Amino acid sequence: MDRRNSRRDAEGTSVITANRLLDGRIVWLAADGQWTTLIQDAKLYPNSAVEEALKARNARAQEEALVGIYGVQVTETASGPLPVTSRERIRAAGPSVHPDFTPDWHAPHPAPYA
Amino acid sequence: MSHSPSAALPVGHYAYDDVDRTFLKQRVAQFKDQVERRLSGALTEEEFKPLRLMNGLYLQLHAYMLRVAIPYGVLDAKQMRTLAHIARTYDRDYGHFTTRQNIQFNWIRLEDTPEILNVLADTDMHAIQTSGNCIRNVTADQFAGAAADEVLDPRVYAEILRQWSTLHPEFTFLPRKFKIAISGSQQDRVAARFHDIGLISREGENGRPVFEVFVGGGLGRTPIIGVRLRDDLPEEDLIAYLEAVLRVYNAHGRRDNIYKARIKILVQALGTEEFLNQVNAEFAAMDRARYRLPESTVEAIRARFGAPDFAPAGNAAEKLAAQRKADRAFDAWVHTNTHPHKQSGYCSITISCKPAGGIPGDVTSAQMDLLADLAERYSFGELRITHLQNVVLGHVRQDALYDVWQALEKNGLGEANIGFITDIVACPGLDYCALANARSIPIAQKLSSRFANADLQREIGPLRLNISGCINACGHHHAGHIGILGVDKRGEEAFQITLGGSAGDGDASIGQILGSAMSEDETVDAIARIIDTYLSRRTAGERFIETCRRLGTAPFKDAAYATA
Repeated sequence: MDRRNSRRDAEGTSVITANRLLDGRIVWLAADGQWTTLIQDAKLYPNSAVEEALKARNARAQEEALVGIYGVQVTETASGPLPVTSRERIRAAGPSVHPDFTPDWHAPHPAPYA
Repeated sequence: MSHSPSAALPVGHYAYDDVDRTFLKQRVAQFKDQVERRLSGALTEEEFKPLRLMNGLYLQLHAYMLRVAIPYGVLDAKQMRTLAHIARTYDRDYGHFTTRQNIQFNWIRLEDTPEILNVLADTDMHAIQTSGNCIRNVTADQFAGAAADEVLDPRVYAEILRQWSTLHPEFTFLPRKFKIAISGSQQDRVAARFHDIGLISREGENGRPVFEVFVGGGLGRTPIIGVRLRDDLPEEDLIAYLEAVLRVYNAHGRRDNIYKARIKILVQALGTEEFLNQVNAEFAAMDRARYRLPESTVEAIRARFGAPDFAPAGNAAEKLAAQRKADRAFDAWVHTNTHPHKQSGYCSITISCKPAGGIPGDVTSAQMDLLADLAERYSFGELRITHLQNVVLGHVRQDALYDVWQALEKNGLGEANIGFITDIVACPGLDYCALANARSIPIAQKLSSRFANADLQREIGPLRLNISGCINACGHHHAGHIGILGVDKRGEEAFQITLGGSAGDGDASIGQILGSAMSEDETVDAIARIIDTYLSRRTAGERFIETCRRLGTAPFKDAAYATA
């Protein structure tokens, strides 16, 4: 685990993220227990509870076809959770150099697998 | 005038035979099985990760990234079209040329990867040894087989090293990755002194090649200039000697600390003399007959490379001169983007993948197809990717340059900036890379826009600007005349400037850190003030790096940290 991913304040709030095994895309754990590509839909955990939640989700990683599950500290904003680090903000929004590649991007001409 | 590629052999790269192709297909089948076992849960991620890395597949920030090998940077038009097809079909319509002369695709799906490798294998390509603690893609001079100052064609020796090192059972699990570069001329165009092993060729007394061997160079967390172990290694001992170096490293390189695992740390720890003694002892104890590289083998490998069928020069030079006179923009491009060729009437051209404000090294699938078309029509079907993230057409007739330039201009590839401040080398940085601390590309784009004026670039003259998004230094920032290193300041991006680095011919040096890190915009402004300082303090004809060495870093530091 990258140490940068574990930076959490005792009093803060976090969301849970992972990469999908099949395509590597970033997902966030939503309140209904499903995984979503949009951080706006992610469930907020107090940092005091996030380690327990991570343990539970890691136990189901293979079943849910996920890799690299970890917690990301966020601040709560009007438009949803905003990660506190640049790295996680880029993960949540997509590469800054391709503004069109948002998390819900789809190929204009679907590839064979789509 | 146009050329057709040789019908028999691909010009510029080794022609695979059935053995090579069968091996690649078997390898694809093996990886397909590994992927299926991963998806079924039979393999854990921990078990699968080294297997996917051995096939060039990384899990990056947003998706899987596939790094495809381009041995010694050379590929043919058909292979370039395969890369375009992969970009269009399996990725997001572009690829990124790397500082190891490879290409990376940033949006790959794991489940597509076996099919992608299959498509690559259909045109004799693969992703083997583009990752992992093994001998990576051997890089070579981008003007191989063409340069007027060439002593030998380094691609032949790079191919010999590729065959020697591919799946070498002793060297598949080295303490750390291992990078070799070879230059075919006395001019170091491969940054030989910044490689685990760097080879510089020259002709020996018997007419056969000899090699200067540099060992233990590298960038990353601990930048070190390699030491010269040999200055006269005969061709026939090339494999034996490199095997001896690798054996000493494999036996004594540190596996307990990833930051101290590269051969450069071992060479420093033992000292050059002791390291040399150990290599010589290993070399002396080897079965030299078994490892001897006979001239007949070299020639057999050479015979598998197609050679260009050059046409007489005719009035090519006169036609080019007239076209340069008539078109100032074309003249500027010829001045910066061409390189002297050994064949009268020809030259090599470097196609800039660094448009003003663009992403260094990124090309779209349409541009890849154009490059393939131009290679086929004007350069015997052959292309090279450079370690500075550009593309070279090795053999273009001088009287075809104007047509090539016009086609490039229309498609965003006509920038006349090779060797200038906007010919920026940059790693993918935090926009893509899981290891990065900061984004490399946006600051590259801002600098590229800031200095886009062609007259200003010419006034500044030769200047290497390299950007890395973390201390792993994939953007070779230590070797840049100006280097930028992205750092993490409590979760926010910041940038350090280094000054005075060089990978150049005989004057390799490591850039010195100017001071504390700044924000992206502050860094761009600081570099503009550094350039102003250079322009005001240089002597007549003095290049940027020369002024840095003469004045030291102090005046540039003062400028960088001056407030308005």
